[in-house]
Amino acid sequence: MVNAVVYPGYKPKLTDLIMKKRMILSATAQKLIVTALLFSFVGNANAQSDTTSTSSKSDTAIMSVTNGVKVETATAGFKEISFVPLRYVLKQPVISLQQIVKGNAAGVHVQEPSGEPGSEQNIFIRGISSPLLSKRELFDQQAAIFLNGIPLAQDNPFAYEIQKYDFNRIGPATNLLAAINPDNIESIEVIKDPLTLAALGPVATNGAIWITTKNAHSGYREIAVNSYYGYALKPSVTPVNAAYENSFRKPFYDRFGTLADRLNYPPYLRDSTNADYYGPANWGDKYYENAALYNLDLSLTGGSERANFRFFGSATKNASSADRTAINRYTGSFFINASPIKWLTVSSMLNYNRLERTRNRNIRDRLAEQRYIPDLTNPLTPNKNVYSSYLNEFDKVIDDNTSNVIQGYFALSANLNKFSYRGRIAFDYNEGIRDVFWPTTLLEKNNFVSNYFGYNQRMVVSNTASYQIDVNRRQKLMLEAGQNFMADTYKYDYAYAYNGPNDFVKINVVNGDPNAADYLLPAAFRVYYFPSKMRSALASFSGKATYSFDDVLKLHAVVSRDGSSNMQPDNRWTTNFSGGIEWDVKKHYGDALKDFNAFSVNASWARLGKLLNDDRFNAGAQYRVDMGWGNEPTLGSYAGIPGISRPYTSGWVGYGIPWAYSEQANLAVRMGFLNGNLKFGIDVYNREDKQMLLPVPVPTEWGYTGAYKSGLHVRNNGIDFTMFANILPEDKHELSWSVSANFNYNKNKLVALPGGLDELIIGNNKLVVGKRIDAFWLLKNFGNYKRQNQITVNPQTGVALNYRGVPITLGDPWWLDLNGDYRINDDDKLVTGNYLPKVTGGFSTTLAYKAFSLDMQFYTALGHQVLNQYASSRLDFINVEASNNINSVKEITFWEKKMDLSGYPMYNPWSSVVPYRLDQSLFLDNASFLKLRSITLSYELAKANSKNKSLRSCLFYITGTNLFTITSFKGDDPELVNYNGIYTGYGLPLSRTVIAGVRIEL
Amino acid sequence: MTLTATNKVMSVGKKLLLATVLMLFMGACNKQLDIKSSRQADEQGHWDSYEDARSGLMGLYGLLRAALADNNAHWMWGELRNGDFLSVYRTDLKAVIDGKLNASFPTIEAATNWRRFYAVINASNLFIERVAGCKADQRYTESYYKLDVAQARAIRAFTYFYIARIWGDVPLITATKEGSFEELPRTNQNAVLSFAEQELVQVAPNLPFLYSGVDPAQIYPNNYYGYNSSQWLNAPVTRLAAYATLAHIAAWQGRYIDAAVYTEYIVNNASKSNLTLVSTTNLVTTLFNSGVNNNYNQLLGFSFNRNVGETTSEGHIEQLTLANTTLYPMSKPLPEIYVPKDSIASAFPRSNGGTDQRFGVDPASVQQTIYTNYFENYSAAVPVFKKIRVVDGNVGNAGQFAVFNSSIVFTRLEEIKLLRAEALAVLGQTDAAYQELNAVRGVRGLASVSPAPSRDLLTEIFAERRRELMGEGWRWYDLVRFNKLKRTNPAFNMLIDKGGIYWPIAQEVLNRNSKITQNAYWQ
Repeated sequence: MVNAVVYPGYKPKLTDLIMKKRMILSATAQKLIVTALLFSFVGNANAQSDTTSTSSKSDTAIMSVTNGVKVETATAGFKEISFVPLRYVLKQPVISLQQIVKGNAAGVHVQEPSGEPGSEQNIFIRGISSPLLSKRELFDQQAAIFLNGIPLAQDNPFAYEIQKYDFNRIGPATNLLAAINPDNIESIEVIKDPLTLAALGPVATNGAIWITTKNAHSGYREIAVNSYYGYALKPSVTPVNAAYENSFRKPFYDRFGTLADRLNYPPYLRDSTNADYYGPANWGDKYYENAALYNLDLSLTGGSERANFRFFGSATKNASSADRTAINRYTGSFFINASPIKWLTVSSMLNYNRLERTRNRNIRDRLAEQRYIPDLTNPLTPNKNVYSSYLNEFDKVIDDNTSNVIQGYFALSANLNKFSYRGRIAFDYNEGIRDVFWPTTLLEKNNFVSNYFGYNQRMVVSNTASYQIDVNRRQKLMLEAGQNFMADTYKYDYAYAYNGPNDFVKINVVNGDPNAADYLLPAAFRVYYFPSKMRSALASFSGKATYSFDDVLKLHAVVSRDGSSNMQPDNRWTTNFSGGIEWDVKKHYGDALKDFNAFSVNASWARLGKLLNDDRFNAGAQYRVDMGWGNEPTLGSYAGIPGISRPYTSGWVGYGIPWAYSEQANLAVRMGFLNGNLKFGIDVYNREDKQMLLPVPVPTEWGYTGAYKSGLHVRNNGIDFTMFANILPEDKHELSWSVSANFNYNKNKLVALPGGLDELIIGNNKLVVGKRIDAFWLLKNFGNYKRQNQITVNPQTGVALNYRGVPITLGDPWWLDLNGDYRINDDDKLVTGNYLPKVTGGFSTTLAYKAFSLDMQFYTALGHQVLNQYASSRLDFINVEASNNINSVKEITFWEKKMDLSGYPMYNPWSSVVPYRLDQSLFLDNASFLKLRSITLSYELAKANSKNKSLRSCLFYITGTNLFTITSFKGDDPELVNYNGIYTGYGLPLSRTVIAGVRIEL
Repeated sequence: MTLTATNKVMSVGKKLLLATVLMLFMGACNKQLDIKSSRQADEQGHWDSYEDARSGLMGLYGLLRAALADNNAHWMWGELRNGDFLSVYRTDLKAVIDGKLNASFPTIEAATNWRRFYAVINASNLFIERVAGCKADQRYTESYYKLDVAQARAIRAFTYFYIARIWGDVPLITATKEGSFEELPRTNQNAVLSFAEQELVQVAPNLPFLYSGVDPAQIYPNNYYGYNSSQWLNAPVTRLAAYATLAHIAAWQGRYIDAAVYTEYIVNNASKSNLTLVSTTNLVTTLFNSGVNNNYNQLLGFSFNRNVGETTSEGHIEQLTLANTTLYPMSKPLPEIYVPKDSIASAFPRSNGGTDQRFGVDPASVQQTIYTNYFENYSAAVPVFKKIRVVDGNVGNAGQFAVFNSSIVFTRLEEIKLLRAEALAVLGQTDAAYQELNAVRGVRGLASVSPAPSRDLLTEIFAERRRELMGEGWRWYDLVRFNKLKRTNPAFNMLIDKGGIYWPIAQEVLNRNSKITQNAYWQ
């Protein structure tokens, strides 16, 4: 009925149970695979029989490969503008899709908050449409990823409900988009055009990334082998020891510390003869190491016009030089196309990826999963010897993180003259498995075990029929009707237990005798078990019409009726509609536009429904388990009896919640000059997201943290600019030079809040109508008080300036009293800055001479700020250390000088106003940057040796990545910032790598 | 135009066909889209079964426990301010101890927010309004219904008393008005307390002395919700728990006649709830433990039973007070709060008659051994207060794993006896007051005291409360009552007169409801 109920003791065989579930699930998966394979074999059989018959070349029908979903996207002749340039990433050690598109497509912003390979990253297309209040909202803002037309299912954030801390999602928390090998990709297109998004349905409202893999095709067999090998290089960091920390703190104690404060000086800093802390700071040798990374993949394509296949297999390792983190990926993909009858094409794909992640050894991440804060008085030592004895304890650790990602489809396409039909059944199944055992030596003589098994399963069935009417020679009308049904299941089983008998027995041993008194009672572990499952479905019916006049003018219209199971029954369905016009100016005016090779204008508008990711809104008023509190979120019973109540903590849900929707308008201009050697693409867009749900604060006297109300309206608008220039075209010169660049300017604005409110406060965020939704809310610093008489006194009451009632004294920050009431509080905080960049972009250039070429890629984000929690907590050392909570954890990188703190004013760290609190403009830093992401030098043997026809390509290259950054940001890297613009210094660095590789096509 | 009329007809026919097919599809789809969430219970079909009533009632207890446990706030409100404890290094706790309740620490901001209590109140109101529906289930008999409603009303009354003690005037809400989210002003504290008192007086007769206990008259459900009386213990609100709350409401308002009447009822009927005065050894080993058999002595408490998976780190004074001692190794070197030696010495004077088993010199020992029932590491600068120490159920390799299972005990028989002594002393029934006081002193190894010119009875009673109830969240409220009675401390008089005895109201509460005004003292 209700999850998050703890059944300790009633789930005796933790591992067994999870194993059992796994088997059931893998059986489900197997069924799917078998079905898909079966279809494949049918196709294959046909292929075999066809091979003989078609080898006579009597049949010249060209088979059109289908994935069952046809989306017309790119404007013809603007490949360089529409598609992500892959030539650079194919020679880079990138592991995730996010890294592939980062800086390579206008309007796409990628957040890479940690350099840990395979960790989660975010993709936003054209900004965000609602404020990122927590990690759960983050999920709603991600772009939809389509792999050969399959919308990929991602980890649903509902698992955060049972988590005490949301640093990492429970389970492997592996970036599922790390499963895509760039060598298997034919093209990537970022879809931003509203009309095209409308055809994809509500999953694509946030924009879509359309990945087309390389597919089977006819022709002589082709073999491609790609491989690289290289290293993530050990960075040069500034390690420090306790003497540094001591000298950093001493001035505070000298100036503000009382005797009692001195007596409480932290033990690890107290004794300057302690070599563990005051000795050499050489921990870096153990933490940072050169790490090998490699990729080897092979593809085989072949077959006839009527039946063909492709196989792709790869093994990849990506690693970071920090903390021995790595990810291994193994891929096997099969593609089979067959055309048993001339007008019918059958296509299928099966793509299997296995991801194994070696995660970091951060204390914070470990404690967050253990839900237990031990005594944190003494941190790890900067000394190698003691630190390595700590690392040796990890030999006893089990920390296995595996994800299996499988996608497949079976598609039919029939073309009967003017009528055509496309149908497809597709699935995306990905499962995450995490097994953890941490020995007693890592947690106050208590060991910890946890098991996670979860899966996301998506099944899509779609059918489209289209009919073309040739009104006359110049006018054509294309009508299309489609149906799409998508069913998702998100499931996890999570169990954890403490305090096992020793570090060798890692399972729960129980008495199996049914007559015994302790039958199946856990002997050693007390298990906390959390099963949860969520299902949702989306149904769509759509009609599309395209009218074309002389290929000069095209008019499009799409209408769809979409229903989601996550909506309440009376608002289940919504109607979306869109329209667009394409005008080929060049064709229209022909020779009158001599200077243009191509010139087209495309305007479109769409209303798109927005999906809810959680099924908890579909029933209205509800009852949930809500017995826990901030630090103990999972309590589900009282005196052992489960209890439920209204959702006071997660917020009131009422009735009559309408579909949120997005109105998007786009004007695209494409221009080509100089025989196509200079191309421009400019898109101007406006996006209005309306009727969105927001937990609105309500009077606390009703018990709720908030009430979900719809009416949030956010506007995003901006410009995408993409340019491609062949400055020295390849075919004319031995020396060639091409440049491509993309930029996006985006700004967001809060247009309306639910219930006509002008502003509201949720946690540490203040939303004000007319301001940005990604703004910070901060006190404004003015500097230091030098003399007592600078502290103003209210002449009416005689009360001196105070911070929420606490008098400001010398040593406290000078915060501006904006409203002049001699009282600093929330009213004096400013909504300022923005954590999403105003401008993002990338710039690539290729310089080639004969068989050599030199590629360079730059990436930039400008006009945004970060809130420097790292500096705040370093300076607020008194409160951070005293509170002994998850934020007081000191990693080994505590002994690394990540930024220079000397520029900050000296305040009294013991003051009750908490002078180094985070919410002040003192910690707002400009985070604009420009990075040289990669340089590649390559040599094409086939070009140098053009007589050898059997060798289509043989490219040798060396690449360096993450080479340098230009920024005014003082921390280690302006990219290593949380989704909400908070820089904590916890992110692992983006490793500098050097690889050497070869790409061979035979 | 090349399109012929027949084509047109055909296309219309096709369209109709398509539309029909679509309609059929849509109908089928609607069923496909009807997916219920497995993570919650819908409104529809709720409040119609025995289980709904049970889980709703347990929800109330759980919410109330959460309100008290969050940030260990029960002790921030009741124990720390002007109390015996000092903070070792935590600046936020130091601010509370010093009475700087407007200091800007997240924990204090959380403790000034009354939302969690109003969640209890809203849930109670809802339960009272809706639970009658459960009678549709035959298993949910009238006797269940009566008892459950009585508990819900008692929980609501207790909650109102608890928050009125912290914030003074608080909004009085007795209906759910779901979805309205009206802004309501604060209600006069006396009105709130008299509402709570009336409610408790009304429901007390409907509450049993023991749940699933011996009940020849068959008034209460037997085997209540499938638990026998030794499983329930005194976990749900008993009749005596309701009387204990009544007694405290009366005492807080200075109506000591009523307090005497209510406490008398408890003292006279204590055995019916299996309440006894406990020995010092039992006090420090079993009384606070949520998972001990036959421990009925938590007269009104909120349990964290290890055996049913309710172990937590937060919500226990142990989280603040425990640390490594030679007798009990823990990994934490220093506690967060401690009672300094001077305070221990003044609270447990050597010349107090007899030997205080809680803390004192054991007369039987040759080397003048000190009783360590309350404190360990007495010789160190920071002694460890260990009166309440239930680490991981006190089983296994206890001590190394700092999770706790002590209940939040609001009151127990010793506390009631001392309250009765206080009431009787105020009413001038000196002998009876001494009798109650000496009963408590007796079980702690102290000699009886009798009237003497140098002895002030009230001072003596409050000194005993300070010793007996140390660490149980009473100290601040005791100081308030004591100073209201005595009015000898000018600084405290100022606090009483200006409303400084109440906590400030969180900014978040003020932001969300324009009709709530900050307590005058904290403006």
